[in-house]
Amino acid sequence: MSAAIEIINLRKEFGSKTAVNDLNLTVNEGEIFAFLGVNGAGKTTTIRMLTGLTKPTSGDAKVLGYSILTQLDEVKKIGNLSPQETSVAPNLTVKENLEFIAGIYGFSKEISKEKANEMIELFGLEEVENSKAKTLSGGWQRKVSIAMALITEPKVLYLDEPTLGLDVLARRELWKAIRLLKGKVTIILTTHYMEEAQELSDNIAIMVKGNLMATGTLSELRAKTGKENLEDIFISIVEG
Amino acid sequence: MKSSVFAGRVSKEVTRDPLSYIFCLGFPIIMLAIMSLIDSSIPAQANMTVFHIYNLAPGMAYFGLTFLMLFTGMLVSKDRSTALLLRLYASPMKAINYVIGYTLPMIILGCAQILICFGAAFVVGLCQGYTFDIVKMLISFLMLIPSLLMFIGVGILFGSAVGEKAAPGLCSIIISAVGMVGGIWMDIDGLGGVIKDVAQALPFYHGVQLARLPLTNNYDSFGVHMLWTVGFGIIFYVLAVVIFTSKMKKDTK
Repeated sequence: MSAAIEIINLRKEFGSKTAVNDLNLTVNEGEIFAFLGVNGAGKTTTIRMLTGLTKPTSGDAKVLGYSILTQLDEVKKIGNLSPQETSVAPNLTVKENLEFIAGIYGFSKEISKEKANEMIELFGLEEVENSKAKTLSGGWQRKVSIAMALITEPKVLYLDEPTLGLDVLARRELWKAIRLLKGKVTIILTTHYMEEAQELSDNIAIMVKGNLMATGTLSELRAKTGKENLEDIFISIVEG
Repeated sequence: MKSSVFAGRVSKEVTRDPLSYIFCLGFPIIMLAIMSLIDSSIPAQANMTVFHIYNLAPGMAYFGLTFLMLFTGMLVSKDRSTALLLRLYASPMKAINYVIGYTLPMIILGCAQILICFGAAFVVGLCQGYTFDIVKMLISFLMLIPSLLMFIGVGILFGSAVGEKAAPGLCSIIISAVGMVGGIWMDIDGLGGVIKDVAQALPFYHGVQLARLPLTNNYDSFGVHMLWTVGFGIIFYVLAVVIFTSKMKKDTK
């Protein structure tokens, strides 16, 4: 399996605070890779650096061979992001939001319409496709947000806390949608829900205060800590 | 392509907000009607021409543009406070695509606003027994374009420079300034003194006068009014581009 992302000594400092401390890791193509950690662990900052939203203090990362320092335009073309917060155009309908993002990434009007219909079918958005985004519930907005990230056919998809604040049913629905993408797109996911990382990811990186504490598959982490469930594994690693 | 797609989204956001119609169209037209009523109540001996329909129409069209500035400022500042712009910052869009994307629909809306205001003035004029010269009205329309660009620039500038709560406040200061020293419903030349000095130092009075020139057939001060209006237009628009670009860089630092 070839590497989709290679992170090399990636570091971000905000004043005297180190948000990400010389991070090194590799994400394979087509896998779902979860960054797991509590608030302030550096998960979102890592995603922000990989998507060009934050400049690293030092180090580099290669996304499908393109450097985030010197080839950011290429990096932006091959990836897409669903941010933590609601990120839809409020007065546009679901369909218009999808077509809008497709257009921004250079798809023609006709292709944008076709792709919007594909996303509506994939994410089961038919019943809300003509509703204005601002009228949707949090769960629907998250689904739309992920569909907006996926419509541009990204090779790497970044999902920052995709189920934050959702109820159990909406979360399960969203997991189902994310699972459909497995193997087709490389997905980088940040979460602080153990169950979510366990359910969805092929590989997990546990971060604490900007430091990468452990990385591997769930079985590798189990073998490393001698614990069965991810919550115990996490606590064991965090508490050292 | 990216700019036009973004412009399409901006125009949908604005035209779907009912407040746009109330402030950008309803308010100037209502003011036009009220001021015309006031004009009809002023005795001819008072020789007060500021409320005459040929002076009022370009003045009200100019005043309407200040609400377009308010909407631009609100939209830019609101976008900056949401994750939508964060998502777009991660896309291949450049700062210039955003600025063009905000500007294009506002130009179209601004032009429509001026034409509707002039249309309403034409009807009011007919009711008062005054017939506008369509060609002169069109020239007046063209004279308002530099001011339209200036107000869009100010809107982008305020929306980029300050937050969602402060941007409307700053725009309101400009709206008040236009009301006070723009000479729309006050004869600035007749007042003189400090008020006149302040009015002449700012672009609003010149912008209003420039739009009035074709309808009053008095092109004496054309050069000064044009210079002030276009000059401030360029300054504010360039500042808007610079501030938006620097804020975008700061947001992604």
